[in-house]
Amino acid sequence: MAKRLAWAIPLLFVGALFYWPLATILGRGFTQEWLHDIFDPKTLDVLWFTVWQAAVSTVVCLLLGVPGAYVLYRRKFRGQRVLRALITVPFMLPTIVVATAFSSFHNWNTTSVFWIIVAHVFINYSLAVRTIGSQWAGLDSSIEEAAELAGAGRLRSFFSVALPQLRGSFISAAATVFLYCATSYGIILMVGGGLINSLETDIANSAIGLLDLPRTSALALLQTLLSVAAFTVSLKWGGREFDIDGGGDAKRSGLDRRDISSVALTAVVILGLLLVPIVSIFWRAFDSPSGVFYYFTKFNSLGFRDLLNVSIAQAAANSLRNMLLAACIAMVIGVLIAWLTAHSKSTKLTKALDLALLMPLGISTVVLGLGYLITFSTPFLPIRDSWLAVPLIQSVIAVPLVMRIVRPAITSISKAQLESAATDGAGGWKIWRLIEFPLIRKSVVTATAFACLISIGEFGAASLLAFGEQATLPTVLYSLISRPGGDNYGMAMAVSALLMVFTFVAVLVVSLETPRRRQRVQSASA
Amino acid sequence: MSRIPKIAYISIAALLLAGCSSTASNEVVLVTHDSAVISKSQIASFEASSGLELTVVKAGDAGALTNKLILTKDDPIGDVVYGIDNTFIGKAEDNGVLVAESVREIDFADVCFNYDLSWFKSRGIEAPTKWTELTLPKYKGLTVLQNPNTSSTGLGFLVATVAKFGEGKWGTYWKALKANGVKVTAGWEDAYYTEFSGSAGKGSYPIVLSYSSSPADEANTKAILTDCFRQTEYAAVLNGAKNPYHGRQLIEWLRDLEFQNSMATSMYVYPLNPDAVVPDSWATKAPAATSVLGANLQISERRESWLKSWSKLFG
Repeated sequence: MAKRLAWAIPLLFVGALFYWPLATILGRGFTQEWLHDIFDPKTLDVLWFTVWQAAVSTVVCLLLGVPGAYVLYRRKFRGQRVLRALITVPFMLPTIVVATAFSSFHNWNTTSVFWIIVAHVFINYSLAVRTIGSQWAGLDSSIEEAAELAGAGRLRSFFSVALPQLRGSFISAAATVFLYCATSYGIILMVGGGLINSLETDIANSAIGLLDLPRTSALALLQTLLSVAAFTVSLKWGGREFDIDGGGDAKRSGLDRRDISSVALTAVVILGLLLVPIVSIFWRAFDSPSGVFYYFTKFNSLGFRDLLNVSIAQAAANSLRNMLLAACIAMVIGVLIAWLTAHSKSTKLTKALDLALLMPLGISTVVLGLGYLITFSTPFLPIRDSWLAVPLIQSVIAVPLVMRIVRPAITSISKAQLESAATDGAGGWKIWRLIEFPLIRKSVVTATAFACLISIGEFGAASLLAFGEQATLPTVLYSLISRPGGDNYGMAMAVSALLMVFTFVAVLVVSLETPRRRQRVQSASA
Repeated sequence: MSRIPKIAYISIAALLLAGCSSTASNEVVLVTHDSAVISKSQIASFEASSGLELTVVKAGDAGALTNKLILTKDDPIGDVVYGIDNTFIGKAEDNGVLVAESVREIDFADVCFNYDLSWFKSRGIEAPTKWTELTLPKYKGLTVLQNPNTSSTGLGFLVATVAKFGEGKWGTYWKALKANGVKVTAGWEDAYYTEFSGSAGKGSYPIVLSYSSSPADEANTKAILTDCFRQTEYAAVLNGAKNPYHGRQLIEWLRDLEFQNSMATSMYVYPLNPDAVVPDSWATKAPAATSVLGANLQISERRESWLKSWSKLFG
């Protein structure tokens, strides 16, 4: 009974703060124009662009990701852990920072699509590496070795032995990367310079630029269908859940001479693709005629010609406040859902609930932000008017990720331990506190870091809802970078540099939290 | 569960308390676009003379500002709007966002092409004298302008071309512009500060779509003053405002000389109060346009169709 009550909390949360505003914005557009809007050639063009750029980005990520996964997860060498952490930084960076880095590279008219794809690969490379790598690391290597002894080359043994076994993680990686690229907003908006539209930017443009709600909702529906399709593929044919620990139990051998091509390719990717944009931001942040830290001293100003509503320092305070709240809510709800689903029998109902609770991950925050703008503008539920709207949306989109990170850890706790504790007379809460929580500690730390970074970097909803003095770091950064007069450009670079440092520290904290404690607890209880 | 959750509870409680602190009843909220400049001393002066508390909220460019107001009209985000221009005022009025009799003209600016004098001088090329010449081969790859979907200057020039060539015929000119290597940016700042050779950014395009007043600040630039588009900016009380009475007071202050006399230097616009003054140097360096186009068009009704056609040409 208590469990059923406990189910009500996350369902109410996701229902009220996700499905209700989503249904409102989709429903607002159900007029006669709506069908016409979906089959409008311009809509189909936008859909086509969204799909093909995401598909190309995904293929490139997978192609580069395989040697990366091989080097970083299948082989073993000194400094591997640090490198694994380093490549995740781009994935965790606020997209607006990534967009800033890449929008400074290119020439608007000719190659922006190219740079959009490069930026997407930059962001999602580590996702592909990690998803494929963590399964690869756990595979028994004896068959591969046998194949190699029989004379098969690395490439051939990969295609005939490893690849079929990695099918699940390939599909997972492909579906997830595709999803992220198809729903990317900041990158397309800034690198595309307003001339290139995906579903996501066209949703924002139709709503805020043209005030065409039927078209907005038609586009949002297409976007939702695309996300559902990607999720279904991932859940049905994909491999394991998102696993941050990254396996590594199987015996792994060191690098040898025959790995040279994979090592070289991975080194080029890490140096060229990943480090160059990061270094270029830092370079610009410190490159000022008025002293190295000049742009950082401007954090108390409102920018050139008083552009901003609040100073960067105030925006940072807002962002931190939002982050604290969003992460707390996301952790409570996310862990609760993870615990409930891990402790429930797998039925059709739980599978459907799983998909329903996963959906916020695939819905654009722009759509959700618009939904809030329309749904919660009434005097009865004046969420839009308060600063709570932004952290609430951020927690809604962080919940599924928290759930997916924490659940495998909960599922992996041995039943025998829990049962013996129960026989000894420990209650549910006590078992959770003394046994379950210490065992899942690492995944909780990881999930908290993810939730924090999602909140800090979230741009779509904040750009619609963070009015006036509620501006957050990403919205301030966007204002500065889109109005590059005076010191604004340099200030934007300085903010980006700070956000990079913040992200790096968060990633470092996660990777320093080794699963040592888990082993100790297990051996003590054995 | 060690100390962490406790800290979290305490901080949530503290944050909720902070969030619930009530707002002052004599607060008046002015919503405007990102390019408006109302200095701290001006805000202080208004507050001192009126006894009110003034909050300025910037809500994106003129288009985003208008549409956000329409989307939130059931519970407006402020009391007064300043900065909706003649390309958007019709839309705001049609959607019932503004209190009709409170609408007042505040200022205007002329959207004209600027060019880099020294660039043309040093190369011995004759600078253009009207924008219809920008399709000529000698100006190939020299012009940068803004996307009318994302920029009000871009929209202003699009309207000027519609007025010049007529409905259904302006596309030919834009095709020629595109073929002549015109560069399109998302916003005015990108174009003026980053791409234009005559400004601080030292870009590579010597012709830029900007304002007649821009040369006031850049010595070696000049504006083409014919066939410009005139943007007039309005202020109005928002329907459903919490503080409409004081909102009117604020609009009067925007029309007062103190604010009107400051606009030229702070925002590069011309005041519409007939008694207001602009710096003397403006007469030679930054005069208003000698001829303007498009004032007679139904911009609000036609804009979306123009933008769709334009996007087909440039998308």
